[in-house]
Amino acid sequence: MRLYRIEAVVLRHVYELRHNGNHLINMVYFPVVNIIMWGFLTIYLTDRQGLQSGLISSLLGGVVLWGLFYGFQRDMGQGFLEEVWTRNLISLFSSPLSVAEYIYALVCVNLIKALIGLVLESVIALLCYHFNIFPSLIEFVPFIAVLMFFGFSIGVVITSLIVRYGSKLEGLAWSFAGVLMPFSCVFYPLSTLPAFLHPLALALPTTHSFEGMRQVLAGGGFSMVDFQWGVTQDIAYVALAILLFRRMFESARSQGLLIKMD
Amino acid sequence: MNASDVPIVVDVRNLTKTFGKFRAVDDVSFSVYEGEIIGLVGPNGAGKSTIVHMLSGLITPSVGTFSLFGKSLDTEREQILQRLNFTSPYVAFPARLTVRENLAVYARIYNVRDSRAKIAELLDRFDIKKVENKPISRLSSGETARVGLCKAFLNDPELLLLDEPTVYLDPLIALEVRDVLLDLKRSRGTTILYTSHNMAEVQRMCDRVVFLSHGRVIATGSPIEVTRAVLSERRDEPALEEVFIHIARRQRDATL
Repeated sequence: MRLYRIEAVVLRHVYELRHNGNHLINMVYFPVVNIIMWGFLTIYLTDRQGLQSGLISSLLGGVVLWGLFYGFQRDMGQGFLEEVWTRNLISLFSSPLSVAEYIYALVCVNLIKALIGLVLESVIALLCYHFNIFPSLIEFVPFIAVLMFFGFSIGVVITSLIVRYGSKLEGLAWSFAGVLMPFSCVFYPLSTLPAFLHPLALALPTTHSFEGMRQVLAGGGFSMVDFQWGVTQDIAYVALAILLFRRMFESARSQGLLIKMD
Repeated sequence: MNASDVPIVVDVRNLTKTFGKFRAVDDVSFSVYEGEIIGLVGPNGAGKSTIVHMLSGLITPSVGTFSLFGKSLDTEREQILQRLNFTSPYVAFPARLTVRENLAVYARIYNVRDSRAKIAELLDRFDIKKVENKPISRLSSGETARVGLCKAFLNDPELLLLDEPTVYLDPLIALEVRDVLLDLKRSRGTTILYTSHNMAEVQRMCDRVVFLSHGRVIATGSPIEVTRAVLSERRDEPALEEVFIHIARRQRDATL
C-alpha cells in the first residue's frame, strides 16, 4: 500500500470535482434543498399541527444523517462509474495501483464530500430552524461512523456488481439506498414497523444508528446496545462486501470485462 | 555477448485464454530479450491484444504461465507494473480532465520524480504541448493517442507494451513515434512488445516478430526468417505484407 498512489486517485477526483458541476450539485445543492424543504415542513408541523420539538429534532436529524449515508454510498458507486464511463479502468489497473489503494482513495474523497454536505445541512438546520446537531455531536459520532461503514459496504457491493455486469446496473448507485430507507427507521421508531419486518430492520446498521440517534435526542443518553449491534453488523457487511468485490473483480479479469466495460 | 547472456524480460509459456467456448489465445510460447523490439502481428482476432492485456494484468490466463523480469505477476504485481507501461489507442482518459491533469495523476501513480519537468518533456516530444490545458474530450483521436504515449513513457519503463500505437496517427507523427521508440531502444535498452497491422512499420522496427493466427503462433523469427518460413520461398528481403495477406486469407478460408 503506497500513500502516493492513494493521493493520485484522490487528485484525479479533485480534478473531476473542479470540472464537473454534477459533483458540486450532489455535494452541495441536494443537501441544501433537502434540509430547506424538510425545515419548512417541520415549521408547518410545529405551528399548525402542534408537533412536539423532540419529534421535529428526530425528523431533521434523520434528514441530515440519511443524506450523509445516501450521499456516501452513491458517490462510492458513482466514483467507480466515472472510470467506466471514461474507459480509464484499463490504464488504472495496468498500473501498479492496487484495488485496495483505489478503494481507500474513493473512501477518502467521498468521506470528505459527504462531510461537507453534513456540515452544510447542519449549519442550515441550526440557522434557519434552530435545530442544533452540534451539542449532541460527540454522542452522534459513533452512529455516524456506523452509517458510513454501512454506506461503504453498500457502495462496494454496487461497485462489485458494476465491475461484473457493467454500467447497465449504474442505476443502483442512485436507487439502492432507497430500498433500505423504509426499513431503516429513519423518521420513525422501530416499533412503528409491523412485527414481521422487525428482523429485517434489525439486520440493518442504519436502523441501529437512527434508533440510537433518537435516544440521544430524546435525552436518553448514548445507546450502547444499538452502537454494538451497528458495529457488529458493519464488520460482517464490510467483510462480505470486500469478499464479493474480490470475487467479482477476479471474475471480470478472467472474462476480459475490464477491457470491454462501458 | 551471445543471446543466452541477454536476460529474458518476457517469458510466455503455453499461454491459453478461452472466453466460453472461444479460444482467443491457444498454447502460445515466446520470449522477449532485454533491449529487443518484438512485433506481435496477425489478422484481426488473432489474439494479439489478448496477449498484451494478459501481460499487463488486465486479463487472467486460462492455462499456461508468463513471467516478466523473471517474476510472476500473481505474486509481484506492484514491482512488475512499476517497471513497465502500456498503452493502446483504445485506452481513454477522464474526459473532463485536461491533458496535463491526466498526466499529473499518472505521474503520481508511478511516483515520477520531478513530474512537472517530465510531463513538459513528454508533451514536447510528442508535440502536444499546445493542447496541454485542453480537456481530453476536445482532442482528436491522434492527440488522445499521443497522450496515451506520454502516459506510457512517464515512468521510463524498462518494458513497453504497445497495442497498435500508431493506428490513429498521421504519417508524420507515426514516423516520429517510431523514431522515439528506436531511440529508446538504442539509448536505454528499453524492451518493446507491440502489436500492429502496419507491416512496413513492423518490418522497419522489429528485431523479431511473432505471427499469430486463430490464437496460435504460426511463425516466429526475424522479419526475413518469417517471410521465408511462411511463404516457403527463398527471399532476400522481408515481405511481411505478403506474409500477412497469406495468413489472413488462410484464416478467412478456414473460417468459411
